[in-house]
Amino acid sequence: MPLSKRKTGYTSDWVRLVPFLLFCLAFEVVPILFLIRGSIIDRNTSQLTIQHYLNLNHPLYLNSFLNSIKISGLTAIVGVIFGTFIGYAIYRWPSRRIQEILMTLSDVTTNFAGAPLAFAFVVILGMNGVITQFFLEYFQYELYPTFSIYSFSGLTLAYIYFQLPLMVLILPAFAGIKQEWRESAQSLGANAFQFWRHIGVPVLMPSLIAGVTLLFANAFGAYATAYTLVEAKLSLVTLQIGYMIAGEVRKDPAIGMAMAVVSLIIMGLSIGIYQAATIRARRWSKS
Amino acid sequence: MKNPQKPLRETNKKVRPAGWQIVAVALFLFYMLLPIVSTYIFSVATRWDRTILPEGYTLEFYIRAFQTSYFIITLRNSLILSAATILVSLIVIVPTVYWVHTRLTGFKPLLDVLMILPFGIPTVVLALALVQVYNVPPLARSPILLIGAVVVYSMPFMYRPVSNAMQAIDALTLTEAGQSLGANVFQVLSKIIIPNILPGILSGSLLVFSTVFAEYTLTSLIVGAKFKTFPLLLVEYTRINGNIAAAFSVVSFTIAWLVSILILWVGTKGQNGATETIQAR
Repeated sequence: MPLSKRKTGYTSDWVRLVPFLLFCLAFEVVPILFLIRGSIIDRNTSQLTIQHYLNLNHPLYLNSFLNSIKISGLTAIVGVIFGTFIGYAIYRWPSRRIQEILMTLSDVTTNFAGAPLAFAFVVILGMNGVITQFFLEYFQYELYPTFSIYSFSGLTLAYIYFQLPLMVLILPAFAGIKQEWRESAQSLGANAFQFWRHIGVPVLMPSLIAGVTLLFANAFGAYATAYTLVEAKLSLVTLQIGYMIAGEVRKDPAIGMAMAVVSLIIMGLSIGIYQAATIRARRWSKS
Repeated sequence: MKNPQKPLRETNKKVRPAGWQIVAVALFLFYMLLPIVSTYIFSVATRWDRTILPEGYTLEFYIRAFQTSYFIITLRNSLILSAATILVSLIVIVPTVYWVHTRLTGFKPLLDVLMILPFGIPTVVLALALVQVYNVPPLARSPILLIGAVVVYSMPFMYRPVSNAMQAIDALTLTEAGQSLGANVFQVLSKIIIPNILPGILSGSLLVFSTVFAEYTLTSLIVGAKFKTFPLLLVEYTRINGNIAAAFSVVSFTIAWLVSILILWVGTKGQNGATETIQAR
C-alpha cells in the first residue's frame, strides 16, 4: 500500500474514476435530479410549487398508489412466509446436489418476470387455462369471474411467482439459527414451540423484515408483468407513469414526475430499512 | 453458517429429508414449473382450451412464429442491444473495479452505494427521467439513450461477479509485480488482471445478457416501435395469437435456461480457479 502511494500522486488518482462517474452522472444521477426539480417547479412561472403533489390527490392516482402498495405488501408477506419455509426446507436438505439444483432453479425463476411469465400464467389460469379446466372438470367449479388472471387476484399469483424464489435466494445470507442453540434449548427443556417463540423468531426477525422490504421494493417497481396482464383493468403506479411516458394520456407531465418522486421515496425507504435490517441480521450469523 | 455446523449435520442420523421438507419443496417445484411446462406444451398443442390435456400436437406454431416478418429483426435487435450493453458495461466497470481494488480503495463504499442505486429506481422512473432530460435529437428516444439506460440498470449484475473475482486475486501485488518488470497500465490490465478475473467477467457478461435480452420496460418506453426487440414482439403477440406467443415464450425461456446453465458452469470453473490460486500461495 505505501509503495503504491509513493509511486503516484494521490490527488490525481481519482481522475481514473472519471469515466465511470460521468456515466453514472449522465444516465442516473442528473436525470433523477431533473425529475425531482421538475416535480417542484412550476413550468410557466419557474417558481417553487407543491401544486404537482397536491394534484396527486385524485382518485385515479390515489388508487394506483393504494393498489401498488397493496399488491407489493401482500405478495411480499406471502413471499416471505412461504419463501422462508421453502428456503429452510432446502437449506436443511441432506443432499448438497439437490440443494444446488433448487437454488439454481430459484435464481432462474426469480428473473422470469415480465412478458413470458405473464403469458405462462394466462396459459394455466386464463379463461381456458389448464387449472381453470381442471377445476371445472374435477370440482365442477368455475374460477371465472370470481377469479381472473387479468385482475388483482391473478396479478398477485404472478407476482408471488418471482417473489418466492427471491426469498429462497436471500435466506442463506441470513439463516441465523444455530444447531447449538437448538440443542441448548432442548437440554434446558424447551419444546419446539418455545424454542421458536423465544429464540428462533426473535433472531430471525431482522431477516424477515429485510425480506419483506426487499420483496416489497421488488414488486413495487415491477412493470412488464402488470402491463402484459392487467393493462388498463387495474391501476398501478408504474403503469400510470408508463402511460405518461408513452403519451397515451395527455396530462401534465409534472404529475408523472411527482408520482415518480413519491415512488422513489417509497423505494428508498424500503431499501433503507432493508439495509439496516440486513446489518442487524448479519450480527447473528457472524459470531 | 458454513463450516462449524457442517460436521454436526453430517453426523446427524437424518439422511433423508423430513416429511414437511418434501411437501414444501414439492409445492415449490409445482408452482415454479407448472406455468413453464404448460407453456412448452401449449406451444406444441393443436388445441388446448376445452380439455385438460391437449387434443393433439403440432409444430405448426413454431413454423409460423419463425416466419413472422419481425422475428429475425427483433432477435437481431435484442442481440445488438445485449452485445452493446455488455461492451459498454465492461469498458466502464472493469477498469473502475480494478482501481477501486488497488489504488483507490477509499472509493469502494461510494461504488457500492452507486451499485445499489439502480435497485432503488423503478425502471419506469428511470425511463421517465431519461426521456425528460434528453428530449432533443439525436439522443431523444434513440437506441443510444436506451443503451445508456440499460447499462445503468444492469450495472449491478456486471459489478458483483467482477468485483468478487477481483477480490479473490491480489490485484495490488500482481500489479506491482508487473510494473517492476516494466509493464505499463494497459499491459498489466490486459495481460495479468483480465486473464485472472476472466470467470468473473464471463459470468457478469452472461448475467447482463440474460437481463438485457428479456428487457421490456426501458425498451418499450424509451424507443418503442422504432427499435423493436424480442420481448416487445412477444407482448404484441400475446394480444394477437396465443399459440405463436407461446412459441415466442418458449424461445425466451429456453434462452434463459441455457444462459443460467452457462453461468453455473462458468461459476464452478471460477471457484476452481480461485481455490487453485489460494493453494498455490
